[in-house]
Amino acid sequence: MKSSFLWRNRVLLTSGILLILSLHLISTGVHPGDLAARPQSAMLEVISPVTGAFTHLSDGASSIVSDYMDLVHVRQENAHLRNELARVESDQARLKELEVENQHLGELLELRDVLATNAVAANVIGSDASGISRTLILSSGTDDGLAPGMAVLANQGVVGKIIAVSPHASRVLLIDDHNSALDGFDQRTRARGIVAGLVDDGVMLKYADRSQDIRTGDTIVTSGLDGIFPRGLLVGTIQSVHREGPGLFLGVRITPAVDFRELEQVLILTQPPPHLPDQAARD
Amino acid sequence: MRLILLFAVFVILGLALESAGARVLSFRSLIPNLIIILAVDLGLRHHGVIPAILAFAMGYATDALSGSHPGLNAFMMTMVFLVSYEVATRLMTANAGVGAVVVFFSVIATALATVAMANGFNALSDTGWMLPGLTLQAFISALIAPIIFAILSTTKRLTGLTATSSRERSIRDR
Repeated sequence: MKSSFLWRNRVLLTSGILLILSLHLISTGVHPGDLAARPQSAMLEVISPVTGAFTHLSDGASSIVSDYMDLVHVRQENAHLRNELARVESDQARLKELEVENQHLGELLELRDVLATNAVAANVIGSDASGISRTLILSSGTDDGLAPGMAVLANQGVVGKIIAVSPHASRVLLIDDHNSALDGFDQRTRARGIVAGLVDDGVMLKYADRSQDIRTGDTIVTSGLDGIFPRGLLVGTIQSVHREGPGLFLGVRITPAVDFRELEQVLILTQPPPHLPDQAARD
Repeated sequence: MRLILLFAVFVILGLALESAGARVLSFRSLIPNLIIILAVDLGLRHHGVIPAILAFAMGYATDALSGSHPGLNAFMMTMVFLVSYEVATRLMTANAGVGAVVVFFSVIATALATVAMANGFNALSDTGWMLPGLTLQAFISALIAPIIFAILSTTKRLTGLTATSSRERSIRDR
């Protein structure tokens, strides 16, 4: 048995089969409800509380370090005063944090009222584990009514869309990821294009007609035609326009309205936007 | 079974640390790629069907928290396992230094391969900006790898698992 070809090459053969299986998964994709999606959902469910705990701990540690730096000279003067001040500072920081969180949630609530649609607020608890893609992990999942394909917003503008969910967590593909695309247009010229992420960390308005008078500083908003984002949401402002080259389209770079690194709370639209083909056609 | 449980715990902790760390540290390159270190340890020291499946599962678990193409990290981790296995079967030793070198090149190679497979090989021409950060991450991962190998080795001994490769054992027994 141990001298047989299969036994001697068992590692290579198993790895080969697993590589083919991986390629199959990559090429066909994993859709919600698929058998292959269940381990992913389970993994997200298992890891998200641990990630949340680590994020909470690290936030606390940064707060402690920051408090220490602020109070180092007080420490030299009086140990008792330092401890008392640290306690007050800590309470103040906590209150400030609650105030900021309250303000963020208030802004999201206002946004929800403006959009006049069903929406759920969620906390951001983690980022992409590998760092090569740009995704976020949220603290809400199917139990809160979330599903893949839902639009994710912040009070500053568009964040991305849900790509994976588990009962208590979900993942968001940010608009600056190189696999992300949404339909948008220039608010001034009404020129349409596809807002897509780039490998080099930027965002671009692709397929914008070369004849359009798109300028630096113009505002890009969602068109609502992709069936995910409601019409008129802020995506970002135009950073640069390249007209050189022989192509049919302009090279338009966008600065996203949202700073994804600073995101703490987001709003997820649980209802698809109303379809507005006539209005879009008029533009 | 003990090997599976041991690596499951390390993978959960590793992924949670990487994901939470990316939120806290604005410079992502400072966070080592812990899952690659685990895959290299598997490839260097555990030669069988279960470790190969374990490497695939580790990658698939990473897919749950990274990227938008499920299967991509599973492919990469299986490749890292396979390369580490080949290195271990060809060298007289599979010590921490060898592991660190494999980790260094694996971090860079998997990142570039991930970009190429997700966006086409043309996208590689846009990866120049990634290389300094990627090299730093690979260096930090390689630096921390011997520590992780030592922790794994101790944990394996405590749980009654073998901490050296079959080739190393056969050379030692001769």
